Amino acid sequence: MVKIFHLSWKVSLLKEKGMKTLFFLSAISAIIVIFSIIFFLFRDAYPIFQKEGVVDFLIGMRWYPTGQPPLYGAFPLIVDTLLVTLGAMLIAIPLSIGSAIFIAELATPRMKAIIKPAIELLAGIPSVVFGFFGLIVLTTWLQITFDVPTGESWLAGSILLGIMAIPTITSVAEDAISSVPREYKEGSLAVGATRWQTISKIVVPSAISGITAAIILGIGRAIGETMAVMMVCGNPTYGLIPNPITNIFAPIKTLTATLGIEMGEVATGSDHYSALFGLALILLIITLIVNILATLILGRLKEKQRSGSMRQPIISFELGKKIKQSFYLIIGIFIVIILLLAIGIIPVIAVLVILALMYYSLKKISIKIKQKIAFSIISLSIIIVIIFLGIILAYIVTNGVGALNWEFITTGPSNLGRSGGIFPSIIGTLYLVAGAIAISLPLGVGAAIFLHEYTREGIVTKIIRAGADLLNGTPSIVFGLFGFAFFVLYLKFGFSLLAGQITLAFMILPTIIRTTEEALKSVPQSLREGSYALGATKWQTIRKVVLPPAAPGILTGAILGIGRAAGETAPILFTAVVFSDFIPSSILQPVNALPYHLFTLATSIPGSKQNQAGTALVLLLLVIGIYLIAILLRNRFRKNMKW
Amino acid sequence: MIKINQQKEKQKTGMTIISIIVILALSTIWFSGCVQQQGQSGAVIVLIGRDSTSGTREFFWTFVMGKANFSALLLEKNSNGAVQQTVAQTPGAVGYVGLGYVDTTVKALKINNITANVQNVLAGTYPISRDLYLFTKGNSTGSAKELILYIQSTEGQGIVTQEGFVPLQNTVPYSSSGKTLSGTLTVSGSTTVLPIADKAATAFKALYPDLTVTVTGGGSGAGISAVSQGTADIGMSSRDLQTSEQGKGLVKYIIGKDGIAIIVNPQNTYLDGLTLAQLKSIYLGDTTNWKDLSK
Repeated sequence: MVKIFHLSWKVSLLKEKGMKTLFFLSAISAIIVIFSIIFFLFRDAYPIFQKEGVVDFLIGMRWYPTGQPPLYGAFPLIVDTLLVTLGAMLIAIPLSIGSAIFIAELATPRMKAIIKPAIELLAGIPSVVFGFFGLIVLTTWLQITFDVPTGESWLAGSILLGIMAIPTITSVAEDAISSVPREYKEGSLAVGATRWQTISKIVVPSAISGITAAIILGIGRAIGETMAVMMVCGNPTYGLIPNPITNIFAPIKTLTATLGIEMGEVATGSDHYSALFGLALILLIITLIVNILATLILGRLKEKQRSGSMRQPIISFELGKKIKQSFYLIIGIFIVIILLLAIGIIPVIAVLVILALMYYSLKKISIKIKQKIAFSIISLSIIIVIIFLGIILAYIVTNGVGALNWEFITTGPSNLGRSGGIFPSIIGTLYLVAGAIAISLPLGVGAAIFLHEYTREGIVTKIIRAGADLLNGTPSIVFGLFGFAFFVLYLKFGFSLLAGQITLAFMILPTIIRTTEEALKSVPQSLREGSYALGATKWQTIRKVVLPPAAPGILTGAILGIGRAAGETAPILFTAVVFSDFIPSSILQPVNALPYHLFTLATSIPGSKQNQAGTALVLLLLVIGIYLIAILLRNRFRKNMKW
Repeated sequence: MIKINQQKEKQKTGMTIISIIVILALSTIWFSGCVQQQGQSGAVIVLIGRDSTSGTREFFWTFVMGKANFSALLLEKNSNGAVQQTVAQTPGAVGYVGLGYVDTTVKALKINNITANVQNVLAGTYPISRDLYLFTKGNSTGSAKELILYIQSTEGQGIVTQEGFVPLQNTVPYSSSGKTLSGTLTVSGSTTVLPIADKAATAFKALYPDLTVTVTGGGSGAGISAVSQGTADIGMSSRDLQTSEQGKGLVKYIIGKDGIAIIVNPQNTYLDGLTLAQLKSIYLGDTTNWKDLSK
């Protein structure tokens, strides 16, 4: 009897150890992936660094890889990438934060119940759909409205990226604002502050670390975006820094667009090929820097909040104020000088007069009217956001609905997709997504379980989390290049379903780790302790007590991952997709997918307007449908969670 | 006391409204000023071209530009369709695309007074055209050989014509009698050649029901590297081999020609044709306004 007990105890101990090892392995997968991405990018970029020199590659002013002699200067591409991101943020940050404040503080519960999920849904619109809209509508509108030779410009890219970043920034910032403790607000209102004073002086400053995180997430997205930017920015051939630098109508060429355009046709193993990997490496490093900065800023903000007013200020309040004032003055003068150079003296005077008037009237008016003005500006921002997104949706729906019928969904394309349906692409997208989730779900859930259940916060978790964060910030086209270098060429998978599935799986891995961790966090510690007290082992507790209540949260993460994988074009562009009516019968065969089908129709098949819009609509419905399920599931889950 | 306060409040509201109106008026004036300053944008030439790895661009650069550098303001598109789309919606644009992409949304210019069409390319009078290629590793054998023969035959060249390309001359009909093919055949590469290969493969499969043919895009470079590595049986390319691709035992087959049309927006009423010299000066960036050419 004792022996049997002893044996079973041994077996379960072994099982415990086995499970822990398994979870540890999945946890370090994120790190392995990010390191292999860096390794393979570097391996393929090395020849060009050796040949041209890293410094010359970075500061060269011309990108002309097929010239004689070939020129590999990435500087204009880097500057343009930063400029388009800057413009996008100037558009997205005020609008998103306004919208976030509106949803969190001003909206009635009913309005909130509609607007919040609506904005989250819009985060799921695939970037190729934005690009499609931008190429046909936005650039034409800019060209006519501003009477410029071409609408394909910095401005077009920034507007499109700005709109794309709004849903992401808004929903993360809204979460941060909503999670400010009620007592802060009540305290402020109780001492007689108005709602606007409370919002601007108490709520927003308390939520500042979350808002900063939201903005940085938005910046990361904007820097790494490929398809939309590629379709609307013009892409001047050698790369071009706008002249003067404030000329928002200048065409620009970003790092991602260069990769998206040139990668498909380049001769493998040539200097040009190597140079493209050099660009991808630069892109990755820029996003890594943004991510690291984000972590540092957030860390400092948190520390500041924790220590609060307890600490003695290093500089006195008065001196601090003076420093602040002179700082603003210097920035103000700098902006005026730039504006003077850019748009001439009369508009600058007009702007200054406007600002002076605004300042004067703001000083004079009462706090109540100030509140009114502030609230109308905030409401205006959400109205603008809804109008922006409404126009895009309306355009896709009205144009696509004509092509949509049962036959379109269930038959293959004929005449190169000009007529017939998109059945193979739908199946292909489903195959890709199913494979991606089958790989990333076990890895991601395992990693999250290890992080949350098996370890205390320490150096190991820090490294793993950093790996997952870096992976999350990696641009989707970098995944594409990595997939091409590693799976397609090095492992000789060729253009195949398998290569695409693994590449997509790596891309959505961080999303799944993060959402699973959130779900595990929401399971109260007392449940675990109860289970241990009854003599259950760690793995038994996790399997029987922790995972069941966390399952809906994990599922939400999986669905968000599915939505992202279904809409992405860049990672599969060089790993898996072909334009054909072909349904693969093995995972080593290539596949067609909806976003790629749309991209090819829009760029390579003349006379396919009707089916372009139809494909865009189907893709939109598919991805938004997936997100809708995720959001509904999460809301149900949140409602039912009563411990 | 309360009344006075209310009055003050009203005055302030009035002032706010007035200042808002002033702000709006000023910004409107500024805005319209901006718009008026530019004007006449349709006359400014917007250069549209293909990306630097494109076969079409390489040909254009060699043949039209004499390997001189393009203007830095050339906007790159990564496909013929994107060039056509951009030219169709940009009044001042000019671009180069394969003949198959010329439709009513754009206007093809005469070059040296010769209209861009298949007949004139065949007759050798239209000056801008280039070859389209298939590549195999070593001499083609088996089903790859048969498919290439089919595309070069009268039937295959019918498809070439249908898709708006220029067929080979003196072709013979394809005969499948006494031949049986089975297994799989993979064709991969240039998106320009893709329409031809895709349609030919469909017709070819009708002749050999046991054969599976897969045609995939990916670009000329991707196709050539797929053939050299053995992941594809036939590579499609709209350009000849580059130095780095030579010496890998690839054999090339010409399957037709692609006439390159110079297209402008239909709203462009400045001119109907260009000389090759004018075309070069436009793409060098020396001529920047349509008005300078219409004199």
